[in-house]
Amino acid sequence: MASTPHTAPADPVEPPGDEQAGAIAPPIIGASVAIDAVTVTYDSPGGLGHTVGAVNNATLDVPAGSILALLGPSGCGKTSLLRAIAGLERPTHGTITIGDRCVSSDDTWVHPERRNVGMVFQDGALFPHLTVTDNIAFGLRGSSLKLSRRERSARVGEMLDLVDLAGLGDRYPGTLSGGQQQRVALARSLAPQPSVLLLDEPFSALDAALRIQVRAEVARIVRDVSVTTIFVTHDQDEAFVLGDRVAVLRNGYIEQVGTPDQLYRQPSTRWVAGFVGEANLVRGQVDTSSGDAAMAHTLLGPVPITAPLTVGSEGELDILVRPEQVELQPGDGALVTNVEYYGHDVRYELQLDDGSILAARTKSSKLHERGARVCVRFDGPATEAWPAAGAATAATLLTP
Amino acid sequence: MTHRSRSAFTPIRLLGLAIGAVFAGPAVFVVWRTLRLGATLPETLSEIPAPLWRTVQLAVLVSATTAVIGTGLAWLTMRTNLPLRRAWRVLLVLPLVLPSFVGAAAFIAGLSPGGIIHDALGLVGVSPPRRFRGLGASWLVLSAFTYPYVLLPVMARLVSLRTSLEESGRLLGFTATQVFVRITLPQLKPAILGGSLLVFLYTVSEFGAVQLLGYDTLTRVIYSTRLTNRALSFAAATVLLILALGIVALERSHRGVVAPDDRAATKPAPPVRLGWRVIPALAVCTFVAAIGLIVPLLSLGTWARRGLADGRVSLSEMADPALSTATVAVTAAVLAVLVVLPIAVASIRRPHRLSQMSSVSVVAGFAIPGLVIALSLATLTLNTPVFNRFYQTMALLIVAYIIHFGSQALAGTETAVRGVPAGLRESSKLLEPRRGRRALRIDMPLMRPGMAAAGGLVMLSTLKELPITLLLSPIGFSTLATDIWASYEEGFYAATGLASLVLVAMSAVLTWLLVLRPSEAVSS
Repeated sequence: MASTPHTAPADPVEPPGDEQAGAIAPPIIGASVAIDAVTVTYDSPGGLGHTVGAVNNATLDVPAGSILALLGPSGCGKTSLLRAIAGLERPTHGTITIGDRCVSSDDTWVHPERRNVGMVFQDGALFPHLTVTDNIAFGLRGSSLKLSRRERSARVGEMLDLVDLAGLGDRYPGTLSGGQQQRVALARSLAPQPSVLLLDEPFSALDAALRIQVRAEVARIVRDVSVTTIFVTHDQDEAFVLGDRVAVLRNGYIEQVGTPDQLYRQPSTRWVAGFVGEANLVRGQVDTSSGDAAMAHTLLGPVPITAPLTVGSEGELDILVRPEQVELQPGDGALVTNVEYYGHDVRYELQLDDGSILAARTKSSKLHERGARVCVRFDGPATEAWPAAGAATAATLLTP
Repeated sequence: MTHRSRSAFTPIRLLGLAIGAVFAGPAVFVVWRTLRLGATLPETLSEIPAPLWRTVQLAVLVSATTAVIGTGLAWLTMRTNLPLRRAWRVLLVLPLVLPSFVGAAAFIAGLSPGGIIHDALGLVGVSPPRRFRGLGASWLVLSAFTYPYVLLPVMARLVSLRTSLEESGRLLGFTATQVFVRITLPQLKPAILGGSLLVFLYTVSEFGAVQLLGYDTLTRVIYSTRLTNRALSFAAATVLLILALGIVALERSHRGVVAPDDRAATKPAPPVRLGWRVIPALAVCTFVAAIGLIVPLLSLGTWARRGLADGRVSLSEMADPALSTATVAVTAAVLAVLVVLPIAVASIRRPHRLSQMSSVSVVAGFAIPGLVIALSLATLTLNTPVFNRFYQTMALLIVAYIIHFGSQALAGTETAVRGVPAGLRESSKLLEPRRGRRALRIDMPLMRPGMAAAGGLVMLSTLKELPITLLLSPIGFSTLATDIWASYEEGFYAATGLASLVLVAMSAVLTWLLVLRPSEAVSS
């Protein structure tokens, strides 16, 4: 993966002179990033000398060439952590290592311009007084690459091809669409061959349809050039689609790090369970009678659980049941109160006998009408469970 | 509605054109009179180059100095950890309240025997300069009182500048200093250029300060020859007019084609730590505030206090000129806003080439020096049978103020008109069919703040205006500005000091309301 040639595969026609350009531009060698016990604090805007914790004791490892998403609600500290890696904030504690070089610790501080890190900002941050070409070439002058004028222009042409904007080099940023601006910003940050690429909510300023398109394109490009990529988002879809691994942050703490599938199926806390997707927490009791297989009894019948945790005082559990793990059949037990038809599937809201709400998603082949009574069953592999908490309701619905 | 065919000459556009013509009148008259000189024109023009060169020298020096001082102080107060920077932000804008002729008078009075600068220099054993006049003195005085014209727009731009631009520059391999030169400065360029342009115009049009400081610029030629050699006076006025309009055209063409980046900063930039450089930074700020504010005020205050102490002047004598100053200023402000309102409405609501023309005519007025307007209107009324009854009337004085400051009124009034967007006007039409009630209930309340700000600016400028007041005031009518002028010429520094302090106090209140309060709102 680290040796993937640095060209645009989506471009069917080889632009002339591409071989020569390729010769001076070796593929980017992504570097690993290690974050160890990093804490970032801010001066409180209101008071004198007060500080506000933005990131607390964060530890993360990002293997070279992989893509990590920092996911969390606004104010969780994800952007502060990204800015600390870039060198735009100085952590109060902890060390940050890029490749085998320590860039930030109690007694080390490498200025941002010396970190060989590229960053794409939310607003693109294109220099409005420079053309697209000059924007992309900007970092080639400052870096230690020592390129000749010809090599620089070849590299710019190559970057324009990479982001599929050849021919727009003479335009000013103000004349480009939002999606084009973000692609230029990406080209500009990749031009000096950074070993790490940071993206700060790069798609949030784009409208929904464009966001998905630009996101796919960016994913293709960063995988092509195999640069280590860390990006910040508050959108769980985006984190799951782009990230090889996702770190979920909350109130300055890293709650969980894992693959999208691990986060979705084995969230470490109820909060993560609800943040990464819609979740039903169904109340149940541990079945002590059966042998080694951990089983719980619930309104949805028996539910296999991954590990019997320390159980609440009355032996009760909150069991994670994703909406698509709820199976519906004509029968009794729940009332269909709302039907949302999406084509590929249907989302139901069901009212259980004690008044609590359960969400279900099924294929659209078998439809249930609003007002129908249905029987609900669990259908899926072993799932997570936590000691019961809160009011004694049959189910609790968590939404992102 | 827009498809209905109708004449381009709607009533409001015709009204706008008529108003625009009045605004262009004085300038056109000056040029016309000069061209009529015919055979004597070359001879007259031969006397122009020397004062023109002095004018350009001074204007270039002052604009370059203020560009550096204004930009530097804006950066220090907005982007660094300078101690007390909130207080500096206010203090360093305050020299704006001193009209430059008052500042010049304060320095001359301070340096004369008995003045505080004279005495202070004597205390430290330095002999005070025997004469404070000419290019150097004019340069110092004008720079000290005009740099806020650069400081204010650059401060505003620095606040709104997106920090991500500078951070991107760092991450692309440039040091903080390189980023300032390559990224920040180009972004500040329009603000710096715009501010320096104002300073340049202010300097070439400046009359009072250069007259007091004995520096022979074009305005001084216009003033001193207006009665004895009218041909030369008009020729100098025409050259001054061309210089002023030429520099505006030059700046417009160099402003660049890049669409301005209006996206505001999402978060404030972290302040740059000055370290040991805090000492020179504080020294510079203190020096600028001392020259532009503290020393002149102390100098004026000392003379005023002495005069009050021995009973040669009294505050009650100031009541009359203060009242008449306020009266003309308020009248000019209200009328200026009302006069430009039709042009603002026509050009914003239904943009058309005709309304564009009238608005250009009003805006160009800001480049026409007050002395040229005064000279033109004085000659025009004196020598024209129909108009001569207006010579030295209050009406003519107010007309001159409105022509001179109409562009300030127009900018604010256009903002006010934009404050009632088309969608809002359409929906209010559906809800309230009566046009008069709509104007009263919808348009007026929404436009009032913008119009008040526009009027306030005109008022502030009128308070500080000298040459128009000097040339066009009715006999026996005195304002604070003319009182300061007259008492200074008589060497009666006590009266100069007291009248100046009253004028500064009045303009300080207005400046606070109009300039500082809004800019505080921007920065906090």
